[in-house]
Amino acid sequence: MARVYNWQLGREMSYWYPESRPKRQFAAVFDTNKCIACQTCTLACKTTWTSGKGQEYMLWNNVETKPYGSYPLAYDLKLLEMLNSQQWEGEKYTGQTVFESAPAGERVLGWRPEQQDYAYPNVGEDDCANQVDTGALMKLPHMSWFFYLARICNHCSYPACLSSCPRGSIYKRQEDGIVLVDQNRCRGYQECVKGCPYKKVFFNPMTGTSEKCIACYPKIEQGIQPQCFVNCIGKIRLAGYISRPEQARADNPIDYLVHIKKVALPLFPQYGLEPNIYYIPPIHVPDNFNRQLFGPRATEAVKTYRNAFNDRDLAGLLCLFGSTERMVTRFTRQGDVITGIEDSGAAAVRIPMNEPVHIRPAQDPRNQLVRINCP
Amino acid sequence: MKTTIALLIVLLVLGGCRRGPELVPEVVALKTDNLPASPGDSAWDRAPEHVARLLLQDLVEPRQMKATTQEVRVRALSDGAQVVFRLSWADDDLSDAPGPGKMVDACAVQIPAKLSAEPPAPQMGDDDGLVQVTYWRADWQAAVNGRGDSIKDLYPNAVVDHYPFDAQSLEKGSDAQKEMARRYAPARALGNLRAGPREKPVEDLIANGPGTLSPGPSLDSAGSGQHTRQGWAVQISRKLPEGLGGSERTQIAFAVWQGSEQESGARKMRTGWIPFVVRTAP
Ligand code: SF4
Ligand code: SF4
Repeated sequence: MARVYNWQLGREMSYWYPESRPKRQFAAVFDTNKCIACQTCTLACKTTWTSGKGQEYMLWNNVETKPYGSYPLAYDLKLLEMLNSQQWEGEKYTGQTVFESAPAGERVLGWRPEQQDYAYPNVGEDDCANQVDTGALMKLPHMSWFFYLARICNHCSYPACLSSCPRGSIYKRQEDGIVLVDQNRCRGYQECVKGCPYKKVFFNPMTGTSEKCIACYPKIEQGIQPQCFVNCIGKIRLAGYISRPEQARADNPIDYLVHIKKVALPLFPQYGLEPNIYYIPPIHVPDNFNRQLFGPRATEAVKTYRNAFNDRDLAGLLCLFGSTERMVTRFTRQGDVITGIEDSGAAAVRIPMNEPVHIRPAQDPRNQLVRINCP
Repeated sequence: MKTTIALLIVLLVLGGCRRGPELVPEVVALKTDNLPASPGDSAWDRAPEHVARLLLQDLVEPRQMKATTQEVRVRALSDGAQVVFRLSWADDDLSDAPGPGKMVDACAVQIPAKLSAEPPAPQMGDDDGLVQVTYWRADWQAAVNGRGDSIKDLYPNAVVDHYPFDAQSLEKGSDAQKEMARRYAPARALGNLRAGPREKPVEDLIANGPGTLSPGPSLDSAGSGQHTRQGWAVQISRKLPEGLGGSERTQIAFAVWQGSEQESGARKMRTGWIPFVVRTAP
């Protein structure tokens, strides 16, 4: 194993291959506070990529209701239990990653779901964390909570799928860091399925190979965001590229949210994969739950998000989510107008932070009638 | 009277015992005019048998940590052009349907690509020496035996709403329909040989080290496997290695995967090199 630096853990760690960063790294921010679990993203992906034989059960994108939802079943709990104590000292992770705790003879600490684990794609949907006892719904704040967690492959900087494959059939693209399974080279050993802690590689029994999210790379190559982004009803997603923390640029939307404002956090950073889908944590969820999912920065992130109203740049940038299908790699704010700029330098979208409000009187003297306002 | 009974018992016991195959310390392909058609063919009764102890794959991660299949029994026959092997091993749990978390039974025969006094590394060859591998799988056998190429053949209770290639606008069997099906089967579209609908249950491969296994030139291979409660009996045929047939000898190795033990790829039981000769029947 080689020694590599994982900035999400604030330390070096062991990995199967030496550190080799792509020219740029595809990344995204998902705002969990806006997701309504409509599953439009799930279907957008399904109809585009996984409608074939052997792909019936595959959900490259899925949305689960936390705390109980999980696909495949208990994918998160099983590994969290296997990984034992996951200690942080400040922002430095002092526990072990899935690479460091690999058992003898293995490349990664992992487990392989059984076929029944894929049988309940939306288990726990809308289930609260606690029972709502008589009268509890009348009290505020509610003690019961749930939230929606939308998940795709994290196109990790240290992918466990890639390092699990003894054939080197999985690769990370130099141009954008997207992680792909070479469908010509794969022989269906399912080591990647076992190794990926997020369970985002799926075995296709009809072709005998493993398949995974491709971040819609044919779209990304044309500067367009993936299907699950542009179809998102809740406008919770923003795709772009992330820099290393020391190279963060304040005008790069992803850098700004992840590195500068630190409002968007990786999912289960303690696994050690340096995943590249970043989440704005839910603001109504117990702090310890958020910290288990998103690491020790979750408490601060929730505060920052709650205060976004007073932070014009942050509030403006949040308005850019779901406002254009183009990949926005730069943003600027002039007064109340936010501009999303593409790689080419062209403005992809220009939006006001406050939309004009029109108040229409109920009385319409011209037509001599009274209008009823229906929401 | 007592002596007669004792004599009868001895005769019965002797008559009841079918003579087992001749056991040999190396793999011997006996020359024959008629090659067997299946692992149950009576032609196999004449062939000597080598009992190969299986070892753990312990060279590369993921390693095989648990000793599962203990031994593989190998017989071989050759007509001078082809060589046919019969591999049998104990495995009472039939695994011939692939799926998420489901591995399948398989076996393989490995021979150095070139006859040489110094064979390459026994575990998949090395930089200096290529090995040829003929690989058989139980799910391919099931496909050849008639199992259909649909998810319902693997999961009879599966319900599928619709596939894009079943759209009414696409004429069944037309090029446009096939193209649509290929779009949703990337491994097939790329010609990955392990992804296809199968015509035979074996595949010819080459390797020069662990992790380098790739499709090789045709060895005219064929195969057929039968599973009983005792386990698998699998027949694998391929071209006789070039230069072999007289007094020359080469090396041979075998590997066995048990699907029920989650064995696949590097997780396998395997042998070291075993000397391999062709011999004329006495
Ligand atoms: S999320 Fe899983 S499948 Fe995706 S790159 Fe990371 S390890 Fe691989
Ligand atoms: S489309 Fe957007 S809002 Fe709807 S479930 Fe997916 S991520 Fe959530």
